[in-house]
Amino acid sequence: MTQLRNVAIVGFAQAPIVARDEHRTAQEMLYPQVRRALEECGVSRDDIDYQVAGSSDYIDGRPFGFVMALDVMGSWPPRQDLHVEMDAAFAAYYAWLRMQAGDCDTAIVCGYGKSSEGDLDRVLNLQLDPFYLGAIGLDPTSTAALQASVFMEREKKSDVDLAEVTARNRAAGARNPDALLREATSPDDLAATEWVAAPLRAGYLAPKGETAVCLVLAAEGKAESMCDHPVWIQGLDQRIEMQNLGARDLAVGGGTELATRKALAMSGLATAADCDLVELSAANAAEEMILCGAMGLDPEKPQPVINPSGGALCGHPLMMTGLIRLGEVFRQLSGRAGERAVPDAERAMAHATSGHCLQQNLVIVCGKDRRWT
Amino acid sequence: MSQPPDEPVKYIESKIHLPYDYVAGDYRALYMRALADKKILGSRCSVTGKVFVPPLMSSPESFAPADELVELSDRGIVTTFCVVNIPVIGREVELPYVAASVALDGADISIFAMVQECKAEDARMGMRVEAVWKPDGERTGDHTDISYFRPTGEPDAPRESYINRL
Repeated sequence: MTQLRNVAIVGFAQAPIVARDEHRTAQEMLYPQVRRALEECGVSRDDIDYQVAGSSDYIDGRPFGFVMALDVMGSWPPRQDLHVEMDAAFAAYYAWLRMQAGDCDTAIVCGYGKSSEGDLDRVLNLQLDPFYLGAIGLDPTSTAALQASVFMEREKKSDVDLAEVTARNRAAGARNPDALLREATSPDDLAATEWVAAPLRAGYLAPKGETAVCLVLAAEGKAESMCDHPVWIQGLDQRIEMQNLGARDLAVGGGTELATRKALAMSGLATAADCDLVELSAANAAEEMILCGAMGLDPEKPQPVINPSGGALCGHPLMMTGLIRLGEVFRQLSGRAGERAVPDAERAMAHATSGHCLQQNLVIVCGKDRRWT
Repeated sequence: MSQPPDEPVKYIESKIHLPYDYVAGDYRALYMRALADKKILGSRCSVTGKVFVPPLMSSPESFAPADELVELSDRGIVTTFCVVNIPVIGREVELPYVAASVALDGADISIFAMVQECKAEDARMGMRVEAVWKPDGERTGDHTDISYFRPTGEPDAPRESYINRL
């Protein structure tokens, strides 16, 4: 493989996820996290070459809403900037690419947005094509239920399986101070929650929330002085599937499968089982099972641990859920994971997604060691 | 490709309705509430001392917190202006009118304002203006509480007093 630049995650700051912050705008929520992340790295904004962000103007409710965040990202004197209308983890991917191009050594990656301010079903309906799927009023929970239905039929999964997946995440989330839901719940209690769109019950859906996050990336040579335990990116890949839901097999995560295979190969690993933990962006329990199938993960096996943070099922801040997965990988591998730490973790994988039914997928493999020498 | 239909489809109607319920944020909420009491609030940068109006949580320039709220005068200086010949969206106003950038006394950045009781040809940079508030009982705590600004008749401010507060 071509020689690539070693790039590490060197800092991460996240506010605890809340259902709605009544006191601060999205930008006011982000500002303290950018400051915290830079302070953690012992640098000032002048030491940052490049800034990227992921957010949604439709969630903000205004075109070009992302420019409002520039004021709180320390972007004066004017800095090179990129914004993606995707989960902020994809912004991290572009920052990594930029570092490969060699024109920046350090970057901040921000995610923000107050999903409580709008009607998410209406907003996310607009991700669909406007003439056939969007026009009939499909919302993301309904499309997810369509996907869950075909998956469960194909793989002979039941309501009980969904309850167990959710209960495992909720038990883990109880140890995560940044999670929105922090109480373990039994499979029986979850299986008694109301149907939202069968086969999905309310208990199996990721609870929407809001927060703000800032992750710091640095290339080899800079990373070492910014963090006691830099977490190195060893492999990554991004795949996008067709938008037309009827044109793809919803029961298998084809894009995730390919992205995982490519990311593992790039990192020199044979299978996902070579990782100690995996953080998944699954917006419901069935999605998590689909991802496990696509990525070659078996929750019955001790390794890798799946979602030691509790995952999105314990808090799902739109546009940030994926970046938080990457932040959790950083926390685990740099000794910052507190009570949810996976012992002796050396390698971990983060997954992010955007779009309906796992349309766009990003997989990043990280480790304690540099990949390229 | 077959022929297009005999009856052409002229358009596809797409009605998008997206309601929002914005959190004002404590800074904006305090600013709005103060307007009802004929007060204009700004915030002071903890590093440079610059005062922003409406108040900001942090300085976009220095990146430092700006968490000290200060009360500003409702009088200031026209730092730049234009003479507008097109109607104001959502507001009845005689044309042409003067739209101005006004640096309030005590503020380091200017706000945008409509200037009335002033002929277009009399508007100038450095002109002293004051807020004309809605009467007591009619102010509700939003931007329309200031109806407009008007000239005070004081001598013009010297250029150096406002040229860096545009």
